Amino acid sequence: MATVKLTNVKKVYDKKVTAVQDFNLDIADKEFIVFVGPSGCGKSTTLRMIAGLEDISEGTVEIDGVVVNDLEPRDRDIAMVFQNYALYPHLTVFENMAFPLRLKKMDNDEVYKRVTDAAEILGITEFLTRKPKALSGGQRQRVAIGRAMVRDSKVFLMDEPLSNLDAKLRNQMRAEIIMLRQKINSTFIYVTHDQTEAMTLGDRIVIMKDGLIQQIGTPEEVFDMPVNLFVAGFIGAPQMNFYDTELIKDGGKYYVSPLGARMEVSADKSKMLESKNISSMKVTLGVRPEHITVAESAGPSAIKVKIMVNEMMGSEYHLHTVSEDQTKFIVRTPTLKLSHEERTALSAGNDIFITFSGEAMHLFDPQTQRNLLI
Amino acid sequence: MKQPSSIKRSRMVANAAIYVLLTVISVVWLIPFVFILLQSFRVENTWQVGYVLPKEWGIDNYTKLFTDTSFLKWYGNTLIIACANAVLQTLMVMLMSYGLSRLRFKGRKLLMNIMLILGMFPGFLTMIILYWVLKDLGLTQEGAIPGLILVYFASSGMGYYVSKGFFDTIPKSLDEAARVDGATRFQVLYKVTLPLSKPIIIYTVLTAFMAPWADYIFASYVAFGTSSGYNVAVGLYSWLTKDMINNYFTTFCAGGVCVAIPITVLFMLLQKYYVEGVTGGAVKG
Repeated sequence: MATVKLTNVKKVYDKKVTAVQDFNLDIADKEFIVFVGPSGCGKSTTLRMIAGLEDISEGTVEIDGVVVNDLEPRDRDIAMVFQNYALYPHLTVFENMAFPLRLKKMDNDEVYKRVTDAAEILGITEFLTRKPKALSGGQRQRVAIGRAMVRDSKVFLMDEPLSNLDAKLRNQMRAEIIMLRQKINSTFIYVTHDQTEAMTLGDRIVIMKDGLIQQIGTPEEVFDMPVNLFVAGFIGAPQMNFYDTELIKDGGKYYVSPLGARMEVSADKSKMLESKNISSMKVTLGVRPEHITVAESAGPSAIKVKIMVNEMMGSEYHLHTVSEDQTKFIVRTPTLKLSHEERTALSAGNDIFITFSGEAMHLFDPQTQRNLLI
Repeated sequence: MKQPSSIKRSRMVANAAIYVLLTVISVVWLIPFVFILLQSFRVENTWQVGYVLPKEWGIDNYTKLFTDTSFLKWYGNTLIIACANAVLQTLMVMLMSYGLSRLRFKGRKLLMNIMLILGMFPGFLTMIILYWVLKDLGLTQEGAIPGLILVYFASSGMGYYVSKGFFDTIPKSLDEAARVDGATRFQVLYKVTLPLSKPIIIYTVLTAFMAPWADYIFASYVAFGTSSGYNVAVGLYSWLTKDMINNYFTTFCAGGVCVAIPITVLFMLLQKYYVEGVTGGAVKG
């Protein structure tokens, strides 16, 4: 039950390396915020500043309107789950979870009640008497979450909690965190480098790079309206295809011309370009792999590419293709409605034609790397 | 089928050779101890003789040791020093190494380097000056025991290497988790770090307890001929002078056995931790 506000937060290590700067963010009560970005982007550092584990070089962090810059972690009323679980090896699972409550000198009955309740929710009741080393990775992570849960703290911080788990367990735990979130009425700040986790968990996502916030928005916003090339490339898997080409204004309509093709930009996007007084210019065209379709035959709006690799993902193919000028395009094609012949036609080594609609286009200024459509 | 059996045979030969060698080494190592033990039970005369097995066995030497000599006093002195040192030095080393391992402060690296360099000088260099300092403080001769405790424990922080190495292997995120969970720095130390450091604590207690039993040089300086300030090593050595040895050699051996008992017992009980403590710093936790 708390708001968190970061104002002009900056972190400088050893007066030399700037890890985070100009960090401004208002987190609403009970919001689930995800910090995402490649390693070294400052996301964990920011989380640790909120936790009080790192000093804040400049700016302020407020929790519930109180500036906490100089408060010790224990005085901030936060709970945190660490990447490597950080369970106390010498204590049983029960005592691990009871640890923060014992420090508060809570009476035994209440401790027992809270720990067993949390264990119930997390499905770890039968392990309460074990030591952490006798648990599997997923169970340890549950204990770590349980230890944070029993606190009933204002803010719940999670630092890459799933990155030590294998893929299957990670998917399962991700779903459990979503369910857990509905049970705990708390503000969540979650750090990850995995864009899938960010998209599925976050109410809002903060995308960071080199210590700077690139974009803050809902999963839909960052996916549909990436502010720049970095965000466009980071969110979505496989990543967006980019092609440097020419934007042509011709008779009130806009066209792009990748590899000699001529494709019309959709009406609402044209309107946006029009309103910005953009005429013909060089642009970076971005198209997501799932928005590219395989065309029946050559045509004015089709691009000829050669399939280098065809990855069978089950319900879809990931086609890694190369155009005549050696640009790589990745294409996602659902396999459900493909006939046997069509599937054979998508084998590696074959030439195919690809196309995409005007709605699927993202246009970026190659100089500033910013999205021209917002 | 042939190859495995030949591998097996060559391994057996190698093992046999190793065991024979180890047996020989351990016998050689044990000779002085067995010799002293046997001499301590020799009754027929008190001086050195040309044979090993006593002709007459008995505990006369031990009776003499505890009734006619100051041995009990020296033993008590050493025990006091050892116990005090075990407590104080452990405290000092633990706090020192925890601080160096966990806290980041200005001059930390410098401090560690200075201590490393200081540690390279032999301790004897400071002996004379320490003696004068202690003398001015009234901590020599009659006051040798508090004097020795002070000297042993004052410099003990410099022996932080092993335990700092051990603390370094305890993940820092445990400290952080505990701090977020509501612990103060001190609570982190005694609720998380120390329970995880049992091997290194026992190792430190053990070394701190054992060192004073074996110290001769400095202890002899500080006591400076005052029998009531002797520790066992100095006391026992005082019997080995030209005019004492003929009457006291077997008693000396009995004293040696008595000194060995507490250390040996402690060591055997705690050797598991001792080994963990020595190797613990190198193994990632």
